[in-house]
Amino acid sequence: MYNHIKEIVADSEKTGKPISELIIEQECQMSGLPREKVWNKMKYNLETMRDAVKKGRSGNGVFSSTGLTGGEAVKIKKYIEKGHTLSGDTIMTAVQNAVATNEVNAAMGVICATPTAGSSGTLPGVLFLLEKRLNLTEEQMIRFLFTAGGFGMVIANNAEIAGATGGCQAEVGSASAMGAAAAVEAAGGTAEQSAQALSIAMSNLLGLVCDPIAGLVEVPCVKRNAIGAGNALIAADMALAGCTSVIPADECIDAMKKVGHQMPASLRETGIGGLAGTPTGQAIKAKIFGEDA
Amino acid sequence: MENRYKSVFDIIGPVMVGPSSSHTAGAVAIGREGNRLFGGVPKKVTVHYYGSFAQTHRGHGTDYAIAAGILGFTTDDLRVPRAPEIARQRGIDIRFVEEEGQSPIGHPNTAILDMSDGEKKAQLSGCSIGGGAIEVRDIVLHGINIKPAGSLPIVILVDFERKLNHERSLSDFLKLKAPFKEKRIYKSHACYIYEYDIQNYFKPDLTGELRKKYPHIICL
Repeated sequence: MYNHIKEIVADSEKTGKPISELIIEQECQMSGLPREKVWNKMKYNLETMRDAVKKGRSGNGVFSSTGLTGGEAVKIKKYIEKGHTLSGDTIMTAVQNAVATNEVNAAMGVICATPTAGSSGTLPGVLFLLEKRLNLTEEQMIRFLFTAGGFGMVIANNAEIAGATGGCQAEVGSASAMGAAAAVEAAGGTAEQSAQALSIAMSNLLGLVCDPIAGLVEVPCVKRNAIGAGNALIAADMALAGCTSVIPADECIDAMKKVGHQMPASLRETGIGGLAGTPTGQAIKAKIFGEDA
Repeated sequence: MENRYKSVFDIIGPVMVGPSSSHTAGAVAIGREGNRLFGGVPKKVTVHYYGSFAQTHRGHGTDYAIAAGILGFTTDDLRVPRAPEIARQRGIDIRFVEEEGQSPIGHPNTAILDMSDGEKKAQLSGCSIGGGAIEVRDIVLHGINIKPAGSLPIVILVDFERKLNHERSLSDFLKLKAPFKEKRIYKSHACYIYEYDIQNYFKPDLTGELRKKYPHIICL
């Protein structure tokens, strides 16, 4: 099993296999399942993601029971259709997909955690944008998820992927880093460039706190996935352009872990500090759960 | 480094009903392990929350998630949000207590399940480590306190005959089919308990094979 990013990169360079292939082989070996079963499991996850994106941007969109989030994926969709986006239709389409997924999640719909539910919009945000932009086949999309998941395993085992232990940098930060690395492979980049993309994306979101209002996976989680998806595309483009991270990927992961452990508990998914602790955040909490909550 | 995440599907997955992988999907998983440990649905359950679970369980649907797990539902079961109601209809009493102070098992996402049905009692202390993955760090079974390392799978065999030959046969079997990192033996006047921390997820069909050989085995 791969314990470090540099091992994956070295193996890919040695064997000439893409990262996705190495991760599929690792999964077959570890689980004892035949390749076809492993492949189909990922295909099912891909279909779940596609359904969630579709649901979130159809009609008037979906709304959570608290009314705190919902309907904004549809707003973004209509805005893109007007043809005057500032950051470009590419970024905004990724943002739309990301927001759609997290709105479905907040409304207690079915999603695929990538790596978590709170950060479940980031990868689909990138993936379904790339499907259009690069005309990805279903096979390429499934490979995208294996690459993202393989790098995600290294992050999860060396650092954290829970807001309660690592802050939002561990959730949206990890998802964004995974998405950046997988986007590089989908675009035909090298394994080394994937590692660079991971480093750049993770570095850019280092220190992001987990401060959900009323403890709900709604505000700011839904919009944080917008930045996760956008950041992944920017980092992937930079890596493909040949930009490199001064700090190697495995050290970025270590830094993320340490920053998470240095965060006070109030900024690790307790609904106490950050945006949750603002007067408006507190007022919303009192309104939803009563004054004594 | 300890590999707490052993499959790419721990990261890309689970497919689940929202809103939180640690506080909803992970909570379903803790409930399910409670069900497995108890050997079915207990009549009465008291859930003790610590840390982030105590602070945010209501917002994350942790209550319905734990109830769903206790009923044996999976994370993507659309009945998950209605689980407390379903439990009530089945006459199962589930209560939730927000505890103050540090988690006894040292993790901010901790739930301790006290389960009973008449004389039968069991306790499971689980924590949700992120992305839907969980650890079980403390178990009380037949009055014996078991302390696994945490990472799943965990295999437990209760031996009322108190003959260590069962332990030897199970150890040999596991060494061959599902290597373990550590084995612990607990002894009381009523029974012996053997606990194994298994290294990787079970290969397909292994749980069935184990059950056939050891009818009372518990596989978490």
